[in-house]
Amino acid sequence: MDRSGVKKRLLGLDREYGILLVIVAFIFTVPLWSRPIPGSVLHMDIVNIMCLAGTYACAVLGLNLLVGYAGQISLGHAAFFGIGAYTTAILCTRLTWYPTWLGVLSGMVLAGVIGWLVGVPVLRLKGHYLAMATLGLGEIAFILFTQLKWLTGGTVGVLNIPPLSVFGFAFDSDLKFYYLVWAVVALILLFSVNLIRSRVGRGLRALHSSEIAADAMGVPTAHYKIRVFVLSTVLAGLGGAFFAHFQRYINPETFILSLSILFVTMVVVGGMGDIWGGLVGVIFLAFLPPVIQALPEWIPGIPEGLTNFGNYQLILYGILLIVFMMFLPRGIAHGLERGAAFTNRRYRLLADHVKARKYE
Amino acid sequence: MSGKPVVRSAVLLLCLAVVVSLSAVGCGEQKVDTSKETYKIGAVLSLSGPASPLGQPEQRALEMLQEQLNAGAGVDGHQVEFVIEDDESLPAKATEAMNKLITTENVAAVLGSSTTGASLAMSEIAESKKIPLVVCAAGTQLTQPVKKYVFRTPPTDSMAIAKVLDYLVNKAKVKKIAILHDANAFGTGGADELSKKAPDEGIEVVARESYGSTDTDMTAQLTKVKDTPAEALVVWGTNPGPAIIAKNMQQLGINIPFVGSHGIANKKFIELAGAAANGVVFPAGKMLIPSSIPEDSEWRTAVDDFKTEFKTKYDLEADTFAGHGYDAGLIVTEAMKTAGTDKAELRDQIEKTKDLVGIGGIFTYSPTNHDGLSEDDLMMIKIENGNWTEDK
Amino acid sequence: MVGRDADNRILVGGAAAAFCVLIVATLVVKGSTGLQWIMSGMTVGSIYALIAMGFSVIYSSTHVINFAQGEFSMLGGVLMFSLVTRGHLPTWLGFIIAVLIVTAIGAGLERVAIRPMRNHSVISVIIVTIGLAIALRATAKWIWGTDPVRVTAFSSGTRVKILGAYLPPQSFWVFGFAAVAVVLVFLFFNRTLLGKGMRAAAMNPDAASLVGVSSSTSSLVAWTIAAALGSAAGIVIAPIILPSFSSGAMLGLKGFSAAVVGGLGSAPGAVVGGLVLGVLETITAGVLPTGYKDAIAFLLLILVLLVRPQGLLGRAEDVKV
Repeated sequence: MDRSGVKKRLLGLDREYGILLVIVAFIFTVPLWSRPIPGSVLHMDIVNIMCLAGTYACAVLGLNLLVGYAGQISLGHAAFFGIGAYTTAILCTRLTWYPTWLGVLSGMVLAGVIGWLVGVPVLRLKGHYLAMATLGLGEIAFILFTQLKWLTGGTVGVLNIPPLSVFGFAFDSDLKFYYLVWAVVALILLFSVNLIRSRVGRGLRALHSSEIAADAMGVPTAHYKIRVFVLSTVLAGLGGAFFAHFQRYINPETFILSLSILFVTMVVVGGMGDIWGGLVGVIFLAFLPPVIQALPEWIPGIPEGLTNFGNYQLILYGILLIVFMMFLPRGIAHGLERGAAFTNRRYRLLADHVKARKYE
Repeated sequence: MSGKPVVRSAVLLLCLAVVVSLSAVGCGEQKVDTSKETYKIGAVLSLSGPASPLGQPEQRALEMLQEQLNAGAGVDGHQVEFVIEDDESLPAKATEAMNKLITTENVAAVLGSSTTGASLAMSEIAESKKIPLVVCAAGTQLTQPVKKYVFRTPPTDSMAIAKVLDYLVNKAKVKKIAILHDANAFGTGGADELSKKAPDEGIEVVARESYGSTDTDMTAQLTKVKDTPAEALVVWGTNPGPAIIAKNMQQLGINIPFVGSHGIANKKFIELAGAAANGVVFPAGKMLIPSSIPEDSEWRTAVDDFKTEFKTKYDLEADTFAGHGYDAGLIVTEAMKTAGTDKAELRDQIEKTKDLVGIGGIFTYSPTNHDGLSEDDLMMIKIENGNWTEDK
Repeated sequence: MVGRDADNRILVGGAAAAFCVLIVATLVVKGSTGLQWIMSGMTVGSIYALIAMGFSVIYSSTHVINFAQGEFSMLGGVLMFSLVTRGHLPTWLGFIIAVLIVTAIGAGLERVAIRPMRNHSVISVIIVTIGLAIALRATAKWIWGTDPVRVTAFSSGTRVKILGAYLPPQSFWVFGFAAVAVVLVFLFFNRTLLGKGMRAAAMNPDAASLVGVSSSTSSLVAWTIAAALGSAAGIVIAPIILPSFSSGAMLGLKGFSAAVVGGLGSAPGAVVGGLVLGVLETITAGVLPTGYKDAIAFLLLILVLLVRPQGLLGRAEDVKV
């Protein structure tokens, strides 16, 4: 083994693990400083927003692997999110003895099975066909959630979903759920980092840059694409199942096209194919609406009528989305990295220069 | 140059303000005591999204109530503040907003939301966090079975359905009906209950069809209805669906009576359906046509005052939704006069509400009834020549 | 290669035959009711087709799926309400002004929001169109409120009888407009130098610039046409659909499905996709429990993608290496 590799690992200079550690530490401290202060300017319930964001993060991190590494977009991940949510919700409310953690697992499995059934035929196609097919699938799932009344409760949905509990410990408050969901998100991140470094991950990266080249080099591209797609649906199912146990109530109107679009937007705004990008996108878009909503309190003088709820917020949301794509087309995470790298660049250029000299 | 008149009017205004405030103090009890803590009541309403035509009038009515209360004695001398949040017509946003109100605003009670879906989601929180919730949505399942902390202001869908059945049996005298409903929660819930209760009244449902909220053509469903022996068509939905159905019926030459839901109790329906609106009958709160309320009653005075004030303040006609929002605020603030901000105490007081004159009707709650209103607070309205008339 | 082409031809022919059998069966079994379904379905289908054409114009020139396409139609409809129903302008004048306004908006948005993205990935551009859709919808809501609006029909009368079916007079305006639009779009892309150059620009920007069509011009022209087409469509269908600020989402979704079914990038494909979708939906609504009507559109979408991903009338695309 090459010496520098060993040294790098020994010194713990593994960039990804380092970032992960920082994130975990940060997540752990959030509830400590973010207690909402009544009457203060920033009066939003950060832990509560983060709980919901955590459930989205599960789906988005999976989708990010699909978009970023398999180069495929899905406009139907709300369906898999919904399948996860409905599976656990129905099992745990109909069969009162059914353990909630098993409900979550069942939701993941069912989402994955349906993902596999859809993925195998569709992923043979190239281009944006998966996006179109998953869009159709999402709409069909929504119709089924609404129409299969005997199973899903129709438009009313499923009420009285129990909180998630493991070995008798119930995650029945925002704070408890916060630590649970973000611990799971951290595990998914760790898994993603390892996946990308594995042989499969290298294959995926080759796949993303050129499918034909990857094919030629013996990477089983079709196989990999399906695996990543199924993985992303399983993670969406996990997010959905968490969502059901957190909200304690679900109805079909949650699992609509705009949720699928929100997931894709989170991936792209954060940074496609950058593991941290998905996370950044989730947090950014989860906090954008409450921050926009709080704006008139900070900046007086916004014209009357425009401040009516929903109007300026959505106009501004739309415009910000465009502006961010324009200036950070490769995502916020990439922008952050570039900002951080800027300071290092001169040094690195010099180092390369010196190295180049040495071998001349 | 132009400074002088400005200064003068400013001085004048200042004097006026001093005089007014002095006279207010002189009146004693008619004043909010600023040293007392402000009573905060949360409200989660659908201010944007598809249900915003419901949420926006509710918001306006609450803001008006807040002004009225604080201009007077407040609640027992306490200033009142309604902290209003938007749920974008989504259940997930509604719970987020409600949690925020409870944890960061420390509200004593929550009002809303406008839709049944969002309100159901919120009622889960109300029960688990033991905070009184007064919903402005009509879905029957919200209060039946009774949830300890959940109360309601609008007439329920069941009441509207009872009214419609009463009309079909006693006025239209029909035996066979067809139902065409919006596939959303409102339409499906209404159609389910109607199909269940119709046989008890000796009415047979010969066809039941649905349409999507955004559909643009319902002729296929109507041709099915045409092929049945239905003597009346009951349409359960909100704009624009029923207006398109009225037009499609005219197009196909279907002449059986069109009985709508309280979802079309607005002038917009008449505008959208045009001539096809004539002859349409629907149930609605009596406040829509104040002359249907006995003239010398307290209720009539309350409704007249409410409508005039709403019109002056917003230059808009107060609809039934404005009434629901106002009533929700009124019920909680009335209960607060004796209960203060203790949540358990407040809940008990709300449940003890008796004969409270609101806008939608006279409210009475009990441990077994969290609905407040009754079928008698509704009436049937018929559209004639583009205008509402009470169908007695 | 030849074998696959033949396969495809058999597939499309088979689908067409199956569709014809369905139509005939409906007519035979249901008589005038069946005819009513088909005629109503054609009205709905023409609406989808008009929106689908807008998607196709932008897709065939830039390979971008424009999520704001439905919003152009919504804007056309609500502007018509302000100009004609409220402003009492004659219908033809209101039509022209509304189309001009929306076309200017479309062209302006292309310059401001789409052109700066020219060197970025298609998915980034798609996200920008999502942002545009959100902002346009919210702006419309701010100006026109949340209620649907009534736009007066172009000609008076409540219904027209053809054979045994009844249609509102406005349906014929929709048919006529869809027919004119498809011919114009088809001629533009297949007979004019600019149009042909634009299609080339989508395939190979460098080659296209040699014949004088830069991808920048191409994108601007495509957005201008799509906005004009979308708004005009929105105006013609407004008396039927009663538009509101939120109508664009539904129109966009169904129009997109029609475009994919017919073949994204093909104007005749858009019309075929729209009509097939509209007629199938109405027949399903007539025969099956109506709750599942919408599922038909999307089942068809998936089916077409699995069997013939380039759509019924689309050409198979070359895959870039």
